[in-house]
Amino acid sequence: MFKRVILFLLALIVVGIAGVFVLAWHPSYEPIEPPAAASFDAGQVQRGEMLASAGYCATCHTAKGGARNAGGYPLKTGFGTIHSTNITPDPATGIGTWSEAAFARAMREGIARDGSELYPAFPFDHFTRLSDEDVAALYAYLMSQAAVSAPAKDNKLPFPLNIRALQAGWKLLFLDQGRFEPVAGKSEEWNRGAYLAEGLGHCGACHTPRNALGAEKSGEHVYAGAFIDGWTAPALNAAQAAPLAWNADELFGFLRRGGTALHGVAAGPMSEVVHEGLSALPDSDIHALATYFAEVNGSDARSAESNARLATLVESGAPDPRARYDEGADLYRSACAACHYNSAHPPALLRPELALNSALSEAVPTNFIRVVLHGVGIGEGIPGAMMPPFDRALSDPEIAAIAAYLRDTMTDKPAWTDLSTRIAAVRQGGSGS
Amino acid sequence: MSKLRQHADDASTFAMSRRGFLIGAAGAGLMLAFARNGLAATDPDKTIAEGAYEPNLWCRIAPDETITVNIIRAEMGQHVGTALARILADELEADWDHVRIEHVDSDPKWGTMVTGGSWSVWQSFTPLSQAGAAARTALIAEGARLLGVAASACTARASVVSAGAKSISYADIVRRGKLSRSYSADELKAMPVKPPDQRRLVGHDTQAIDIPDKTDGKALYGIDASVEGMVHARPVIPPTRNGSNVVSVDDSAAKQVMGYLGHLVLDDPSGTVPGWVMVFADSFDAANRAVERVKVEWTNDDTVGISEKDILDHGAELIADASTGAMVFNDEGVDAAFASADSTLEQTYTTASVLHFALEPINALAFEKDGIWEIHTGNQWQTLILPVLAKALGVDESKIVMRTYRLGGGFGRRLNGDYAVPAALAAKALGKPVKMVCTRADDVHFDSIRSPSIQRVRMAFDKEGKVTAMQHDAAAGWPTQVMVPSFMPKGLNDQPYDPFSISGADSWYTVGAQRVRAISNDMANRAFRPGWLRSVGPGWTNWASECFFDEAAHKLGVDPVAFRLRLLDATGRNAGSAPNAVGGASRQAAVVRRLAEKTSWGKLALAADTGVGFATTFGQERGMPTWIACVAQVHVDRSTGMVRLQKLTLVVDAGTIVHPDGALAQIEGGALWGASMALHEGTTFLNGQVKDSNLDTYTPMRMADVPEIDIEFLPSTETAVGLGEPATTVVGPAIGNAIFAAVGARLRHIPIRPADVLAALKSSAKA
Amino acid sequence: MTTLKLNGRDVSFDVDPETPLLWVIRDQLGLTGTKFGCGIGMCGACTVHLNGRAVRSCILPAAAADGAAITTIEGLDPNGQHPLQQAWIETQAPQCGYCQSGQIMQAATLLQDFPQPTDKDIDSVMNGNLCRCMAYRRIRAAIKLAATRMGEEAGHE
Ligand code: FES
Ligand code: FES
Repeated sequence: MFKRVILFLLALIVVGIAGVFVLAWHPSYEPIEPPAAASFDAGQVQRGEMLASAGYCATCHTAKGGARNAGGYPLKTGFGTIHSTNITPDPATGIGTWSEAAFARAMREGIARDGSELYPAFPFDHFTRLSDEDVAALYAYLMSQAAVSAPAKDNKLPFPLNIRALQAGWKLLFLDQGRFEPVAGKSEEWNRGAYLAEGLGHCGACHTPRNALGAEKSGEHVYAGAFIDGWTAPALNAAQAAPLAWNADELFGFLRRGGTALHGVAAGPMSEVVHEGLSALPDSDIHALATYFAEVNGSDARSAESNARLATLVESGAPDPRARYDEGADLYRSACAACHYNSAHPPALLRPELALNSALSEAVPTNFIRVVLHGVGIGEGIPGAMMPPFDRALSDPEIAAIAAYLRDTMTDKPAWTDLSTRIAAVRQGGSGS
Repeated sequence: MSKLRQHADDASTFAMSRRGFLIGAAGAGLMLAFARNGLAATDPDKTIAEGAYEPNLWCRIAPDETITVNIIRAEMGQHVGTALARILADELEADWDHVRIEHVDSDPKWGTMVTGGSWSVWQSFTPLSQAGAAARTALIAEGARLLGVAASACTARASVVSAGAKSISYADIVRRGKLSRSYSADELKAMPVKPPDQRRLVGHDTQAIDIPDKTDGKALYGIDASVEGMVHARPVIPPTRNGSNVVSVDDSAAKQVMGYLGHLVLDDPSGTVPGWVMVFADSFDAANRAVERVKVEWTNDDTVGISEKDILDHGAELIADASTGAMVFNDEGVDAAFASADSTLEQTYTTASVLHFALEPINALAFEKDGIWEIHTGNQWQTLILPVLAKALGVDESKIVMRTYRLGGGFGRRLNGDYAVPAALAAKALGKPVKMVCTRADDVHFDSIRSPSIQRVRMAFDKEGKVTAMQHDAAAGWPTQVMVPSFMPKGLNDQPYDPFSISGADSWYTVGAQRVRAISNDMANRAFRPGWLRSVGPGWTNWASECFFDEAAHKLGVDPVAFRLRLLDATGRNAGSAPNAVGGASRQAAVVRRLAEKTSWGKLALAADTGVGFATTFGQERGMPTWIACVAQVHVDRSTGMVRLQKLTLVVDAGTIVHPDGALAQIEGGALWGASMALHEGTTFLNGQVKDSNLDTYTPMRMADVPEIDIEFLPSTETAVGLGEPATTVVGPAIGNAIFAAVGARLRHIPIRPADVLAALKSSAKA
Repeated sequence: MTTLKLNGRDVSFDVDPETPLLWVIRDQLGLTGTKFGCGIGMCGACTVHLNGRAVRSCILPAAAADGAAITTIEGLDPNGQHPLQQAWIETQAPQCGYCQSGQIMQAATLLQDFPQPTDKDIDSVMNGNLCRCMAYRRIRAAIKLAATRMGEEAGHE
């Protein structure tokens, strides 16, 4: 009996695998002669460039110190390291021989020109929402760049994940193809914001937690916050931990300038999103994103509470400078307060107010630790303010003392645990989560 | 100081001592030779113009009216050049607007070069006054001749000699006159000086000359010194101060640092820096990073295991043994008085290790040029380190010159110039200029810390509550024993002692039969190099004695101020003597009375858990007392033990005040230092080293901790005494006594930490 | 190659990416008014302005300042006559002076953000600048004096 069950199961698996391979068979598109840059409409190319920026193509498709969009950037996923590919129009190593149809299929279905499966590290699950017009513009832009010869780098994926065909099964389970459909009853601005966020901006790729197979979770998990690249991408839904609600004005300020007085500054990958991605979009698009996310997070409902809290929070954020009741308090007033102290309402944009900072309110201290250790560079966060790295100045227990002190005095959240261990982990490049 | 000088005169073992401390003792160097020999001997390049007169060692007058005063004291924040120049210029009747100062390099002609002990003005006042007066006399004589009038008909004011309607400027006298008068040292000593009421500069405010350069980045400190072709160095400091030997050095990892040049195990004939390894690079930053990658193995002696507790326990044993130490006072009848006392009180007080932590980390640049070794660094006692450098380099002292720089803080650290030695040794070994800069941690680990101390104070009372005897025993590491043993006077029992480590215990109170015993803690002396730190011993002796007087008053049920005034009766040896301690204890009583009046002592209504405490000291030493008293007001948080210092009020009699605003600044800084050592800083000696090495854990007073301060000087025309340290000695015990007044918790250890306050509150609740 | 605008002048230098800006300013570019006190961002002696705001140069890698405008004490005012510098002299604030470049640079940012600072503002912003000589009382007085002067001047414009 037992034997028969095993056999049956084995048979099922074989059939399943075979099925996947059947699913994974896609026709190859004929290589084309790379089109001349001049063959594209200049206006279309320009639009495509803007869209490429807002879709952060270069962020993932450019290796450190490498040519723009020539690929080779290592994406560290929970499954292994995947290298981005060359998306310049080089015929041999890039997408020079891709027809627009091949390009559109890649964007929408995650299938390369030759018919092979692409890994979902490439967010085709979002790009599938793009309008035909935007895909065409992106194609026009990418094909009119200078071609760079840069062969693909080998990915470091363990078996069986290194079998691309298996992606077909993944898609079967998780890919929901289709263009963005405006939601009736919502404003045009809201719909524009939703289109940008869900499609090109692929915000969920970072801000939505993923399941065991690396797909974004759905339902209440959408925009519930996740770990990415050693950072926490905070929740964008109503679960967000920021002390004050992110209303549309705050969201706009943050996405446009990289920080606001009431929430803090964009650091790490989000800084790139703002300064290298969204910066290409017009204010109207940023307003649209802000409008959309203000609804996603339900900030309207929190606005009264927020106004009341602002008053008390800034007070708590300005501790008595004479307080030196513990090590953390003493270190804070000597090493941090010169830049972070605020006395009045509203707090100054260039003095990031920690009592309002979401990094301090997050369930895990990852972002706080990263910023203390590595600082905020000149091009990051908001223009005009930067923070030097304290990695060589303060020890792990000292940073832990500061973190514990701030968490205790500036938030109403429970204490962070295992701070020293987490700090040591972040120092080693981990997420400390 | 007077003790020190006396002793120095017959201490032939110490090479520099015969020059004495006082300028007047420097002999030939003081001859006033008025000759048109032009350029200053010190630094011809800097002489303002050809034809300037150098009427004596201390000043020169240029034909353009500029008057330059030579300053041999280190500028470390006390604006000493301004004060000293004012003294000379006043007697010279110089136009202050044309007075410049020059901080000179080391040269035997200056006599002893030392800046410490709050001595500068006190030592220099008379000789500089006389030098100014002699110069004025000569200028008047020559001016009178040029004007064709009698010298007796002339007066001098603001660099002009006048007689009736005729007048001639000093500059013109310099240009046209023939000045050849010279004075012998004895004549100079006999030179009369002005009565105080005719002083025009001394006692009047002015802006300090050194300040503008300290607001725009121009002031040059030792760390800013540089010379073409210098190699940058950072040391690897061994685990112990005296007992480490290098076994091996592995610099393989350092080789990856760009700019790393190599390392050197120092071979030091002077024995100053045993176990040192110097790491060289083409920039300080590279040297700094290379050091982090150099692995050194040492063998260490037993001091590597010594901790603060060991030192204090050893001190307690030494105190318990009546045969140890030197008797500074040992009046007849002490033991008898205790034996027959109606009651007695005995307490033990301790103080923790304290770091100098001058903000500029120690550094030195050394190189040989034309057969002369040049040491560029900030230093407080050139005369002390020059012979050591000579030994280290194997050259005669005359072949070494120390160039003068501003000090980014002295506080006594730079009295001990040991940090110049490794730079010199390295420069010699490399045959290149070497600039050594220590990181903060290096600076701390090589600091001559203020020794931890332990003291026992006892008092005997008769039936009426009269004090019949007092004994004060203090055990600590002795800087003078370690660094200048020849400077130690002998106690009444013929034992030599470090006067700086017991000063303060020899108080001006009349307490019946008095015994003061100074004990060297030999374990401390071996474990580290004890240092002179802002006020030295009085920083701990007064902590013990002034807290003790408070305890005694409370035991007797007497007001602590009334109790002190009763004992400050200025009888016997406390009557005082000319010239330095005229009036004796009566002047201390006067500052106590004025402060009590000023602070409405005993009449103030204070908030809950708030209290005021009183303390009074005589600053540095009996030989040059600065009378000072302090009231501290504190609030104590009973739940956390946090002490908040709210206010300090001080009254000071420092005799003649030369530069009132500068004097005020010194008292401000000194008082806050006292508060900082009482409440904020202090470290622990642990396993052969101090535990704290930077500001993350060592926490001196900062802006937010600063209390309100009110300082008053009593007007006086008596001898000008010290200002840099007295306030440091009086604040700690005032705070300790204030805490007792606020919440009844008696603290006997500094620094006072919140946990200590909580513990004391607990034990006082039980009592 | 890292490029800065240092006190208004363009400078470039090659440097190890770990080298703090402080040592580039002091040793490579030869401006010694900026001081080294602790090396861990806790004394303020090394404070300079980066794009107009106070920053501790001892913990800032020079490479991270690429493209920035750096102002040191030498460049705060072309004649050393910034209202803060004048107030510093008038109140005779410095003792040894070693901390004062940093104090003044930090105070400049303080007054930008709090033109009429309260004691708490001064305590909070200046607390990171250690003065070992403990000239705090005069530093506070100097800041208030400069604030008043600058306020009056602004009023007259
Ligand atoms: S040297 Fe930079 S803060 Fe101390
Ligand atoms: S004036 Fe000396 S450290 Fe501030």
